[in-house]
Amino acid sequence: MITRLGRDRRRAVGRMAVRRLLLAVPVLVLTSVVVFGLAAASPFDPLVGYLGDRYLTAGAAEQQQLRDTLGLDDPWYEQYLRWAGSLLSGDLGTSRSYGQPVADVLAERLPWTVLLAGTALVLAVATALMLGVWTAWRQGGVADRVVTAVAHALEGVPPFVVALAAIGIFALGLSWLPVAGLTDAGAAVSVGQVSRHLILPAGVLAVSQLPWLLLHVRQSLIAAFGEDHVVGARARGLPARTVVLRHALPTALLPFVTLVGTRLPELVTGAILVESVFSWPGVAAAVVRSAMQVDFPLLAALTLLAAVVVLLGSLLADVVYTVLDPRVAADG
Amino acid sequence: MNPGPNVDHGQAVLAAAGRTASGRGHRDAEVVLAADAVSVRLRLSGGRTVRAVNDVSFRLRRGRVLALVGESGSGKSVLASTILGLLPGNAQVRGSVTLGGAGGEPMELLRASERVLAGRVRGRRVGLVPQSAATHLTPVRTARAQLAEVVRELAMGRRRDRSREALRVEELAAEVGLAPSELDRYPHELSGGMAQRVVTALALAGDPPVVIADEPTAGLDRVLVDRTVDLLRALATGGRSVLLITHDLAAAESAADDLAVMYAGRLLEVGPVGAVLADPWHDYTRGLLGALPAGGLVPIPGQPPELTNLPEGCVFHHRCPGVCSGDVTLRWSGERAVACR
Amino acid sequence: MAEVRTKERTGDPGGVGFGGWFDAGRVWTRARGSRRRARLTARQRLFVGIAVLAGLVVYAVLVPIIAGLDERLVDLAAAGSAPSLEHPFGTDQAGRDLFVRTAAGLRVSLLIAGLCAVISTVLGVAVGAVAGAVGGWVDRIVMRLVDTVNAVPHLLLGIVIVALYRGSVVAIVASIALTHWAPVARLIRSEVLSLRQREFVDAAISGGASRRWVIRRHFLPAVIPQAVLAAVLLLPHAVWHESALSFLGLGLPPHRASLGTLLDEARESLLLGSWWTLVFPSLMLVVATLAVAACGAAWRDHVLPRRRAEEWA
Repeated sequence: MITRLGRDRRRAVGRMAVRRLLLAVPVLVLTSVVVFGLAAASPFDPLVGYLGDRYLTAGAAEQQQLRDTLGLDDPWYEQYLRWAGSLLSGDLGTSRSYGQPVADVLAERLPWTVLLAGTALVLAVATALMLGVWTAWRQGGVADRVVTAVAHALEGVPPFVVALAAIGIFALGLSWLPVAGLTDAGAAVSVGQVSRHLILPAGVLAVSQLPWLLLHVRQSLIAAFGEDHVVGARARGLPARTVVLRHALPTALLPFVTLVGTRLPELVTGAILVESVFSWPGVAAAVVRSAMQVDFPLLAALTLLAAVVVLLGSLLADVVYTVLDPRVAADG
Repeated sequence: MNPGPNVDHGQAVLAAAGRTASGRGHRDAEVVLAADAVSVRLRLSGGRTVRAVNDVSFRLRRGRVLALVGESGSGKSVLASTILGLLPGNAQVRGSVTLGGAGGEPMELLRASERVLAGRVRGRRVGLVPQSAATHLTPVRTARAQLAEVVRELAMGRRRDRSREALRVEELAAEVGLAPSELDRYPHELSGGMAQRVVTALALAGDPPVVIADEPTAGLDRVLVDRTVDLLRALATGGRSVLLITHDLAAAESAADDLAVMYAGRLLEVGPVGAVLADPWHDYTRGLLGALPAGGLVPIPGQPPELTNLPEGCVFHHRCPGVCSGDVTLRWSGERAVACR
Repeated sequence: MAEVRTKERTGDPGGVGFGGWFDAGRVWTRARGSRRRARLTARQRLFVGIAVLAGLVVYAVLVPIIAGLDERLVDLAAAGSAPSLEHPFGTDQAGRDLFVRTAAGLRVSLLIAGLCAVISTVLGVAVGAVAGAVGGWVDRIVMRLVDTVNAVPHLLLGIVIVALYRGSVVAIVASIALTHWAPVARLIRSEVLSLRQREFVDAAISGGASRRWVIRRHFLPAVIPQAVLAAVLLLPHAVWHESALSFLGLGLPPHRASLGTLLDEARESLLLGSWWTLVFPSLMLVVATLAVAACGAAWRDHVLPRRRAEEWA
């Protein structure tokens, strides 16, 4: 009976995932259209982007010829369709700011961003759970008041201020950790080097996400303490630890999973700022560089990538939710 | 406010003509749970106060079932929470509840610390079968997981013995009439009757001498009500004492030895169930009987008073067909008591 | 939030109060030694928030005027000096007084943020109201658009916009305003939908009430408090957003003081040990953000109790 139910649920989760992926398609198309539309309406001449410094030296005739070859005078939707066509065939274009194909830039830099953001997310979630349970359980105590006050204050501090403060204290003041970069200057990439350089940026990114997660865990636990099933567990004479961890926390965790999913855009935003402060060689820092130099192919690819990450993240959160909560019928 | 307990302690309280023929606890059996002049009030925002329980005293004896009967909103469930220390933060109490009998030294429950209640009383000496069973189960875990957990925490020694644990789980399931396959369901997959049996098994896991059953027959059909009544009787026969909180007078009649009629947070009539139902002394008890199918389905006119706004004197006064004596204290006459005349 | 807290059940006779009553129940936690603590009411928090904010505005507006100096004044002799009586916030690497410059930066940041919050809100209310009132395919398209704006991290979309329209203040305002309207639109749309379902509106329409009367009588009173709250709560986001863009070098040009450009400069000054270049502008940024957020939250609790508060939680 259980296995049958299990198979049904698996199938239902699969159906939900497929439906959500289909719904993501129009969102992604719309994202790229919006980016293209903005570019088309902008006063920026794409030829400048293409030629760079040679723009000023190239003659009018040469410019016009290039325009025709690149199809820059075509209506923007035709340009868009061309771009979308080559995107689907796997060609993301060439990044001018890095002087290599966009696909190569992504392949080179994406792993570092995944490492940074992944470490930060794990760190933030683990800390939020521990502190959240502790403060909820000791609600109203000194520790709770201190932690909640700090969390509320941190909500108002942008990640780049946290980053600068961390550099000022831990790198410059105490000289415990390196200021920036992936490795020390000239040093080869090694596990030891990278992990030493990872601590500050990952810590800062985690701290910038922590307040929301922590306060949410605390709040939903406190709400759960008053619910029937927790009162029921207490009435049975279970020790407090069991009641909190095995009865209050499991139900409080369900909305937390969704929250982590919806916080992904903020994680990406944080990554952009943190990577740029710490000169971390990831894709988020590439956003800033490509924007500075109006490297449109790379910028468009990165925007689309971010949208994919956000949509996949919220899908993943919903799948996890459905798997964890036996009550969800997976048709929502 | 009423000054002090209004029960004559010298008298045999709540004594009934024990149904000794069926092996039930004797009317003079030892008292396992004694409530003395218990009052509970809940402070609400805006300075209002709900006076949920007012000067309630009773004795629950070993091997007997005491039914606390009243309409919904009469403060019966608050009394259950009070005994187990599960009142919300805005509650204040007065009086005392003493837990006695075998299974431990006598203990006053209203002033006991959370630590003592959690570690030594709940589940171990007093089990609770809560109202609306399904919501009192944690939704993301199966019935078996939750039952095994209580067995492990309450009934097993320090060393974990999985086979003994599983055996005890099956045993408890059998005692309340649950099929093993039903144990593997999640709470939302249980029917009302199954959920009721699961929470009963959970309450019995620690083998408590006292069981409080809060509306165990609510929402069940006749067959299931009868099964529940049989189960409660079996508990009493096995030497446990049961406080049955219910609005179902028929179920109380077949399950209980003694009856306490509660109205607006007050006990109006107390006595052996047979005697009270055969010849009710209080007009409210008479009204309750009249509202039953056998009594002609005549409802009591009017509505119970708001617990935030209780009248002075007799709480039943405005619905009472009789001549009011203006007296609210329970007066004892033999083994019966009434709060009027 | 469960604020009710009573003494733990201890059996302590000190807990027995007048008439034999004593606290029995308690919020189920293990906090020890905590007492019922008077918390600020929503009204008091609103007052504190407004007072702090007013102080900041006075500082931002008056200091540059009173100083009578151009905040861009370069005094290389005083370059990089630590906070002193003469320069309470110290000076930057070009010798510009940071007390004056931070005030000027705060003013610019608040102005831009305020403008963005208002534009975003107006845009959101308009889009949401149309989507909710018209319904059908218009509604579906608008909701897809809302999903899209929400799917791209706001800062990233903002970066794309400022990158394509470099160096213009209009682009900065647009990049913030165009990325923050979506939640407002969603909120207003649901407000309009619930309004449409209510019977009295139906009755008014079938009773021959004019469209304008319905809007004035039912729509505006329901939407305006929400819109004001949305604008207030958007303000800290907008301050952040502007400072983040300027910090990344994509916002205001470096010589124009804003909290973001000041912090961008602090990145390098910090390496030279000038901690004050980071501390004071950040402090202003954080205090401004928290004060506005506190006002918004207090106003939400005070004015819109029970009404969709969670949507802005």
